[in-house]
Amino acid sequence: MSLLVENLSVAGPQGRIVQGVSLAAGPGAPLTLIGETGSGKSLVAAAIMGTLPPGLSAAGLVRFEGRDLLPLSAGERRALWGRRIALLPQEPWLSLDPTMPATGQVEEVFGLVRGQAQPAASSASTRLLAALGLGGKAAERYPFQLSGGMAQRVAIAATQAAGAALLLADEPTKGLDAALRDDLAAMLNARAAEAAVLTITHDVALARMLGGTVAVMLEGRVVESGPAAQVLDAPRHDYTRRLVGADPSRWPRPAPTASNAGVVVTGRGLARGFGGRQLFRDLDITVHAGEIVAVSGPSGCGKTTLGNVLLGLLRPDAGTVTRITAAPVRFQKLYQDPPSAFAPHATLRTALADLARRHGIAWARISPLLQRLRLAPALLDRLPGQISGGELQRFALARVLLLDPVFLFADEATSRLDPITQQEVMDLLRAQMAERGLGVLLVTHETALAEAMAARRVMLDAAETQAAAATEVATAAV
Amino acid sequence: MSDAVLEAGPPATRGMGMTRWTGGALLLALVAFAVAGPLLAIDPARQDLRNMLAPMGGDYLLGTDHLGRSILARLAHAARLSLGFATLALLAAAIPGTLLGLVAAWRGGWVDRALSILADMILALPGLLLVLVVAAFAPGDIRVLFLGVSVALWVEFFRVVRASAASLLASPEVEAARLLGFGPAHIVRRHVAPRLAPVLATLAAFGVGGTVVTISTLSFVNVGVRPPMPEWGNMIVELMPYFEEAPAHVLAPAACIFLLLIALNLLAGRDPR
Repeated sequence: MSLLVENLSVAGPQGRIVQGVSLAAGPGAPLTLIGETGSGKSLVAAAIMGTLPPGLSAAGLVRFEGRDLLPLSAGERRALWGRRIALLPQEPWLSLDPTMPATGQVEEVFGLVRGQAQPAASSASTRLLAALGLGGKAAERYPFQLSGGMAQRVAIAATQAAGAALLLADEPTKGLDAALRDDLAAMLNARAAEAAVLTITHDVALARMLGGTVAVMLEGRVVESGPAAQVLDAPRHDYTRRLVGADPSRWPRPAPTASNAGVVVTGRGLARGFGGRQLFRDLDITVHAGEIVAVSGPSGCGKTTLGNVLLGLLRPDAGTVTRITAAPVRFQKLYQDPPSAFAPHATLRTALADLARRHGIAWARISPLLQRLRLAPALLDRLPGQISGGELQRFALARVLLLDPVFLFADEATSRLDPITQQEVMDLLRAQMAERGLGVLLVTHETALAEAMAARRVMLDAAETQAAAATEVATAAV
Repeated sequence: MSDAVLEAGPPATRGMGMTRWTGGALLLALVAFAVAGPLLAIDPARQDLRNMLAPMGGDYLLGTDHLGRSILARLAHAARLSLGFATLALLAAAIPGTLLGLVAAWRGGWVDRALSILADMILALPGLLLVLVVAAFAPGDIRVLFLGVSVALWVEFFRVVRASAASLLASPEVEAARLLGFGPAHIVRRHVAPRLAPVLATLAAFGVGGTVVTISTLSFVNVGVRPPMPEWGNMIVELMPYFEEAPAHVLAPAACIFLLLIALNLLAGRDPR
């Protein structure tokens, strides 16, 4: 085992945030840390890397290749970065240099970090990218021309170019669809043969694919650890059981919806392009009151655009959209990243009070709704950045429900939440939908989630030629 | 990394607070000098011809100039002129600049293009040159000077506000606010203004400093404020020939400009948030 962590704790001004964490990883023995947001898993990685935020300090033992890392100075720590310890950042497309083609990003690691001369660095970069499936023209592209999966490959190539013996992967599947997740797992598995790979995720499916050891974190402690198959198939701790059970593939199937309910929105013969590319054409879609229609398909296939067209935020290039009522505020949207949908400087109380004043809603109506959505009144005086993503998404749900919507477009609304929180938000959404006869368009890249939530599903295809072939799949009702 | 601890942000350090505090105190002292100084009832134009170029610390606290006029009184009147002029010029530039920037970002299309072209045309001329051209129409007329400074200055506000507002208006938070039925006034107040405020404060501080320097520079090249009206720049010009006899006298108005700029720069320093 090249990495050994014993009794690691991380303390901040308000006391210990992480304590008693003991882990080990090595080549051929990957380690996966799973747990919800705020469980301290990212802090464990930061303590190993030496990038704890100011005000936090680590104690315990972190031994890597025979050296104690914690007593090292900042400069000695930095000397290890890239060379011995590499970090695969989350959403790697945000970490690439936007002015440099893919091969340059890897080449500079060979040249500057590993110290190879030209043209050796250049050809090594080309070879490595080709080995990862980015050969020829693809390697010459700039980050904005790369898809999420390709950017992920470039980032992986950059982390292994200098031969780091420890790879820390922080939420590597964030923003990737199922097919890309499988690719990523395969790449991490290939890397795990030579280096110690420590992956941080809340994606149970990824943990299963990576194998090795799984450690489950809750409130700063490791509550359960062991071989992946054992922990995930026969969880002993109650939290692990809930985590595994929260995977959408294990949710009860939705009942088929009554077809006699009224139609809230219809699109006929819709077509829309984006940036010179045809996303979909001749697309027909209908959402009834009290039903969820799921739209799924790979990244960039136009799912969000379709939702925005139905909402009226975008005009279709061709076709017509018919809505049950002309009042625009009754067509609402839930966003993928809840903090980005709120004004960051106003408390949630102010946000709701503004809304109440604008539409003449009595505060007496708000409190019971918050209670239904299990939002404690104390949260009202916080800023959007000061509560968890799950709580904020429930506030976003409360905010739109106050306007009595007939149609709600949930745009990857739970893709940034951990599985337990996702299930919580989706259960609440489903309850409100049934109660109010709300028509919901659920856009997700996760097929399992689409199957679990919606009796009717629309698959959008990425391929330009097949854009017209939006197929409606009726899930067999159980 | 959305762990709650990380979102508290770095604690505001003492150093940055002290910096702003010092800047604020210095500026306040200069403003007090500008307001109270002229009330001391020493006529800045009164000539004491037996006491020309009197040294500092005698009957006259900061001495007299070559015509026997009190330098202290003249500095105070000049401070009132410079600060008052700069503040008014700043308001005359910042208010239309900010409003037009918001309009351009909100409306987009030809409105945005027309305003941007106008701004680019003004920006193509160096600020001082522009003021010089306008001021040359009526040398010494303070109203023309005012017009020139404001015309050069509003562009900065326009461009900064337009750029920040445009990216904000395209963000999910503004899209959500529009879907929730909120109008432009609310969106500007809740979403745009809190983001713009610190940037505008910095621009304002640099705008005042820049304007004071511009007025003094124009006096120095004899197109600005004309003697005998006291102004820091023309005081330097008038005292320059006597530099060998009374060097400290020349430094006094220069020190005023220096202190004002230091105060504004400290105030506009890094935002602790």
